[in-house]
Amino acid sequence: MNPLCTPGEHHLSRRAFLGGGLSLLATPVLAEALKQKDKQVLFVWLDGGLSQLESWDPKPNTEFGGPFRSIKTSVPGVHFSELMPKLAKQMHKLCVVRSMCTKDNAHSSGVDRIQRGDPTNRGVPYPHFGAGVAKLLGPGSSGLPPYVWIKPGSGGFRAEDAGFLGPKYGSLAFGDGKPPENLLRHPDISVEQDAARNELRRMLDQRFAAKREKRVVEANASVFDMAEKLMARADIFDTSRLPERDRERYGRHDLGQHMLVARQMLEAGVRFVKVTSYGWDTHGDNFNAHATMVPKFDQAFSAMLEDLEASGLLKTTLVICLSEFGRTPRINGHVGRDHWPEAWSIAMAGHGVRHGTLIGETNDKGTAVKSQPYDIGSMFHTWYRALGIDPLRTEFDNAGQPLPIAHDEMIPIKEALS
Amino acid sequence: MLAKAQGQKMTPADDAEFLRRVWLDFDGGVPTADEARAFFADKAADKRSKLIDKLITAPRFAERMAEAFNVMLMERRGENEPWKAWLVNAFQSNQPWDAMVREMLAPDFLNEKQRGAGYFITRRLEKVGQQDTDYPGLTRDVGRMFMGVDLQCCQCHRHLSVDDYKQIDFNGLFAVYQNLKLQTADEKHKTPWVSEGAITAKYEFASVLTSKKAQTAPRVPFGEEVMIPVSTADDAWLVKPDRKTKEVGQPKFSPLHEIAQRLPVPENPLFAKNIANRVWFLFIGKGIVEPLDLHHTDNPPANPALLELLAKELTARHFDLRWLIREIAHTQTYQRSSTSADTHQRHLTAEQQLRAFLIVTGERERLEKNTKPDVKVDSAKYSLADFQKAFAAALANPAKEPELNANPSLRSALFLRNSDHVHWMLTPRPGNLIERLAAQADPAEDLYLSTLTRLPSAEEKDQLKSWLATHASDKAQALGDFAWALLSSTEFFVNH
Repeated sequence: MNPLCTPGEHHLSRRAFLGGGLSLLATPVLAEALKQKDKQVLFVWLDGGLSQLESWDPKPNTEFGGPFRSIKTSVPGVHFSELMPKLAKQMHKLCVVRSMCTKDNAHSSGVDRIQRGDPTNRGVPYPHFGAGVAKLLGPGSSGLPPYVWIKPGSGGFRAEDAGFLGPKYGSLAFGDGKPPENLLRHPDISVEQDAARNELRRMLDQRFAAKREKRVVEANASVFDMAEKLMARADIFDTSRLPERDRERYGRHDLGQHMLVARQMLEAGVRFVKVTSYGWDTHGDNFNAHATMVPKFDQAFSAMLEDLEASGLLKTTLVICLSEFGRTPRINGHVGRDHWPEAWSIAMAGHGVRHGTLIGETNDKGTAVKSQPYDIGSMFHTWYRALGIDPLRTEFDNAGQPLPIAHDEMIPIKEALS
Repeated sequence: MLAKAQGQKMTPADDAEFLRRVWLDFDGGVPTADEARAFFADKAADKRSKLIDKLITAPRFAERMAEAFNVMLMERRGENEPWKAWLVNAFQSNQPWDAMVREMLAPDFLNEKQRGAGYFITRRLEKVGQQDTDYPGLTRDVGRMFMGVDLQCCQCHRHLSVDDYKQIDFNGLFAVYQNLKLQTADEKHKTPWVSEGAITAKYEFASVLTSKKAQTAPRVPFGEEVMIPVSTADDAWLVKPDRKTKEVGQPKFSPLHEIAQRLPVPENPLFAKNIANRVWFLFIGKGIVEPLDLHHTDNPPANPALLELLAKELTARHFDLRWLIREIAHTQTYQRSSTSADTHQRHLTAEQQLRAFLIVTGERERLEKNTKPDVKVDSAKYSLADFQKAFAAALANPAKEPELNANPSLRSALFLRNSDHVHWMLTPRPGNLIERLAAQADPAEDLYLSTLTRLPSAEEKDQLKSWLATHASDKAQALGDFAWALLSSTEFFVNH
């Protein structure tokens, strides 16, 4: 491939070098090579919309700047809101994109649109980024569920997050960071008995499969295998055995404790871990709300970055932090900020991204993007590339129909990639 | 009759496969070992027909149909007693499908026998959190469930991928349902009910794509608009609304009744096709048209002649579902072997799994009697309701989605492997499976007939023998473990 030609040209000739639309993933060698690399993703979702002005892109002393000051970060010339003192010290690990300009300003559609990378309408529901990664990189050697989601409230499996990839790649949510029902072996059944009868079940299934279509048996086998792997690692839900200092550092609040469970999941080898924090939709009382919530996020997220670096996991883990949109610069009558997809920020760290980098800028009042604006499709290109997956050479297979893994009219942010 | 429409010959299912299938479909459970033995021993040429006739007239058939239609029509929105009773009663009396649909579409909330049908509408109008009342969702489901058309995309513009579906098709129904108001149960109405507003003008809508405005009176999709009687706001009411007396009022013109009179009729071809296709799906595992709610010109049936014939005959027989089900059960397609390449292995629903587990383990009667469970007494630990709840939580699909196939999940695997419910059923107790097997010198035949409705092969007999020899210290436990493996196996989990 000519390194000098532009991604746009790749796009035009994509069909050509895919050999008539056949996905390269159909070549087992490449798929296996991809899967062997144990790359992971931490995806932090601040649901409702973090205000970029009270976090990554402050505009102090301007019309819409709000009451908070900005502070210096570890990268000269880059300033964060004073609500994020801990993350400010870690800017050299981060890559912050201040030039997000997306399309949807409703939660109901925006949450989905952003997480599915907003491909052009193809009449099929697209997979969430987590499902896409689960599909393309597989569960990894841990055998644990590839796409887990730690969130406040209820848990369960969300097949719809996988879109056309099929229920196998849906997200497995652990409500309140708690383990799923029936995770532990029944107290009246011994370890040996449990293993023996499970082995027997497996043998019975193999005999049945010999005479029929294998898919049904395989689907059943895969959930039993996953159950077994998770049972063996029931400890990843338990943060009580960790040093007191750790639990303090992450913060004794939902986001802090959920982030700590997420760290254990990453350490155990889960491919994609999503952590959600709710309540960022501050149409009223935006500043008090952010003054309470941003420091919690600052504490939890910065502790996570420190630990991932200390354990070496940051080298192999792509870290992403975002919302469905930002918040309006204009302050409304309820001292709140409304939905603002026109100009907002996303932060990244870890594997594949260029550290200590600031991408793009907004105008003086923060109302619009002044530099090249990026839609979410560009971020999907960037993230897949960061994970070593080339969206121009890799496709999803929707029952025979090849579909692009990222918006096929968009390109990655090159400056964000290491 | 259906032979010609089906085309080529297929390998027929053997007695064991047929017996299990027909039992799961008509009873919702599995036959006992004795019932299986009797069927295998019967040499009559028409024994399959006789079995179908026996099962389809048994009281259990109505309950099984009620369970299946509850899942299909309500998509796991929760259980409701009056609704369930109405469904059971309808299938018991073999109420024609058009009459059932009329009662669901325009429920008579004052009629004790009919008000259960109102749950189809009232449940969908309940508020969820801060969200608006889901009138579009109800509109969509009327189209999906009773005509096999998902018109959702046409709420705001013409359908982008289906030419047949126009914006007016959605809005003609929406005009009817956005006019409803959910009312709480009171002295007169024993269940939640709906009132209608007075409609005196057509419903206006505009396309978000073209901004073109249009209007429609209440209308069955693809049909004629209903004439709105000319009236002033004042004389539109039979009973006038009155804030002081909290009278919500009753309009003279009821779009709800107009639609109920016009949708479930022979002149509406999609009405018959939809139900024929849905019943075919229920018993064969694959619809003649799929998705079930996407009948349109560019999505033709896999076998057009077959669907046409089923719909025509069903209409001629006044929408007699029992007739249709009996016909389907007699087809070669239904009676073919699951080893045929194109046969669809259907996963058991949560309800089928529960009933099959209860019958296999011999714990059904005990649980039915335990209406007041006592955790301190092993035999009285659980009630049937506890089991219904646990099985649905572990094995049913999420709410508000068509349950086309109950997918195996981490949740279901953990439930089978570790839950106390499953463990409890496989612990020896007077009268249950494990106790009965433990008393036998050679339990292989009983075990396989009870769980998988077939005789074990020589290899399988040997396997059990050596398993029991290896785990000789506790025979009951060894049998419980073997039964667990059979009940957790794919062979048990699919209706094949």
